[in-house]
Amino acid sequence: MTTLAPPPQKAPPQDVRRKGVTERQRPLWLLTPGGLLMVLIILIPLVLALWISLIDLDQYTLRRWVEAPFIGLGNYVESFSSGLLNSIWISVSFSVLSTIATVPIGIAAALVTQNKYRGRALVRAVFLIPYVLPSFVVATVWRTMLQPDGVVNHWLSQIGIDGGLWLSGPRSYWALVIVEIWAAWPFIYLLSLAALQSVDHEVHEASAVDGATWWPKLRRVILPYLRGPVLLACLLATLNHINNFTLPFVLFGAPAPDDVNVMPMLVYVTSFQSLRFGLSAAMAVLSLVLIAIPLFIYLRAVRLDVHEEGGRR
Amino acid sequence: MNSRKLTALAGVSALALALAACGGGDDGGEGGAGKTLNVLIAANTQYPEEFQAWQKTISDKFKAATGADVKFETFASANDELTKIQTSVVSGSGPDVYAVGTTFTPTAYSTGAFVKLGDEEWQKIGGKEKFNPATLGISGPDEQNQVGIPWVSRPFVMAYNTDLLKAAGIEKPATTWDELTQQAKQLTKGDQFGLAIAYKDNFDPWKFVWGMSVQAGNPLVDGKTAKLQDPTVQKAYQTYFGWLTNDKVVDPAAIGWTNPQAVAAFAKGKTGYFMLTTPTAINSLEQGAVKGKWKFAVLPTVPPGATSRPANGIEAASILSGDNLLVADYSKNKDLAFEYVKLVTDQEAQLDYYKKFGNLPANAAALQTLSTDAQLEPVTEAAKKSVATPFTGAWADIQLALTNVAVQSLPDLSKGSLSPAQIDTRIADAQKAAQTSLDRAK
Repeated sequence: MTTLAPPPQKAPPQDVRRKGVTERQRPLWLLTPGGLLMVLIILIPLVLALWISLIDLDQYTLRRWVEAPFIGLGNYVESFSSGLLNSIWISVSFSVLSTIATVPIGIAAALVTQNKYRGRALVRAVFLIPYVLPSFVVATVWRTMLQPDGVVNHWLSQIGIDGGLWLSGPRSYWALVIVEIWAAWPFIYLLSLAALQSVDHEVHEASAVDGATWWPKLRRVILPYLRGPVLLACLLATLNHINNFTLPFVLFGAPAPDDVNVMPMLVYVTSFQSLRFGLSAAMAVLSLVLIAIPLFIYLRAVRLDVHEEGGRR
Repeated sequence: MNSRKLTALAGVSALALALAACGGGDDGGEGGAGKTLNVLIAANTQYPEEFQAWQKTISDKFKAATGADVKFETFASANDELTKIQTSVVSGSGPDVYAVGTTFTPTAYSTGAFVKLGDEEWQKIGGKEKFNPATLGISGPDEQNQVGIPWVSRPFVMAYNTDLLKAAGIEKPATTWDELTQQAKQLTKGDQFGLAIAYKDNFDPWKFVWGMSVQAGNPLVDGKTAKLQDPTVQKAYQTYFGWLTNDKVVDPAAIGWTNPQAVAAFAKGKTGYFMLTTPTAINSLEQGAVKGKWKFAVLPTVPPGATSRPANGIEAASILSGDNLLVADYSKNKDLAFEYVKLVTDQEAQLDYYKKFGNLPANAAALQTLSTDAQLEPVTEAAKKSVATPFTGAWADIQLALTNVAVQSLPDLSKGSLSPAQIDTRIADAQKAAQTSLDRAK
């Protein structure tokens, strides 16, 4: 329930004239270089991956890979008995948890740096540190901190908590979630901040005139503005979490503890330690399908926006 | 049929493009003599500058001898190396010579992309006799099918703190695992521990288990059968975990250690033995508090629970560890490749490499000259008593399965207890994985 509707967008005056030109005589051939690149970089590897997932490709057949036996869906069937379902569950739950936890942090950080004050630029810069650090560095530093006799357990013991093992066993899952949250919240923060900046000045003025205090203003005026961008940020962040390989790999190494055997780790071990390229391609294809689901929702959401704008015109 | 050809074509063109994009130009004809030999070798992060200098020296010598150039290409991790082998194998072009880790040799062999060495090839590099016989143990599945030419060895030994052992009244380092446990107990008191072990290392744990099992007469693989579910393996894990849980001779923090962390702990001078190391650790040890107060010793070769090796037990002091050189089957410069191999496996080059990087010579004569070095004596002995891990394409999986038992047991270890039943369950999983992989082996 918004008390203030966003102001209607002003349509550019020459819009109608240009529309006719773009729709009829669009110079589509200009897309050829990009299209070719897409075919080369995305389409061909994708088709190859699909093909490899259907053949029994391993170290023994690699050399004559074109002649590797075709086994249909055999690799897909084997994927499910090789712990793929468990890995999917770990990946999805870890990603969703991380996203849910990063949203309030990101929004809060954006609100904190919205108004001008001395040192705001510095705070903004500091907030970005986790985001700009390479994943490898983040993981290495956290791995050192989370050692059984590391800093984290030292601090915990000072407040009377026995930290135990963070990089092995059930707690490794929470270690992964915590480190991912630490590294990923600035993404939500960035998009929320961008959305906050786009709130019209008049809106702030109007709510001031109406005498709205900070909480009703935040809840009923500002947050509705953030809804769209933050939802998109959530989708993108979840996809990023699911695809994150460096973090679990550097934190836990391979073979990973069962509790953090996320999909990218499983595919890595299958591919580069067991050398079952066919099987790992099948796993990768299945994980692509999984990732395609939120992606589909995302694309739909973007398209809906376009339609809305078109409707306004 | 048609679609297959199309896919193949697409794949080959994609690969060709990818290779071109990587700038990995194949043997071009820029040198005066017109030929360039491409050598793929592991990057040396420990001594990067010396490694550059070594490459320069070898290139110069090679140029003087053959008139051709050598181009070194380095890889940072086993993963990089595998990717390189994959693309080269599939496209039929790439490095001419590969330096490959011993335990990776069976995998490389199973791709069938490397030259099998007949008498003629061995002659070209100076004969099979010039190598320490033990190092040939992992060159191929049998004498007739060898692909790996031994280049350097890095046998595993243990290091011990001479002062601590002396203070505890121990005259000489243990030669049986039971004796080691006993000594470790004597050495453990206060903030001092008997053993430094890297429980969280991704490569160490399986070496203990393999060694103890082989000494007890179980080589883990018998033809096409995995023999992990065996009392010898169970006993090995019990001993290995028991040091932490029952005997309490290891720092509890060791549960999070990788091998470099265990080196660092031993270097502080508060630990009796550092269990699994190679001469490449000498520099790290000499920089620590333990400087001048440590020695290498051969790892125990009598299985746990025994005072002498059973009749079928093997005196395995270390896995056969180091690097082999492999010549690519697709190489158009095979003669040059063998020239290169000859050059780097000659006595002089081998000793030079040892001095720079601490990797032991595979060349028998070069190794012999080092046996007079008191510090190295146990290491050269371990090099001679090294035993090859089973030569099967499934070994990578078996190694992984054995390590996984340790990885998944860490939480129980930290709680201080691990029942034989728990170990059994995990060994059963490992057995299943190992057997599945062996079933696929060709």
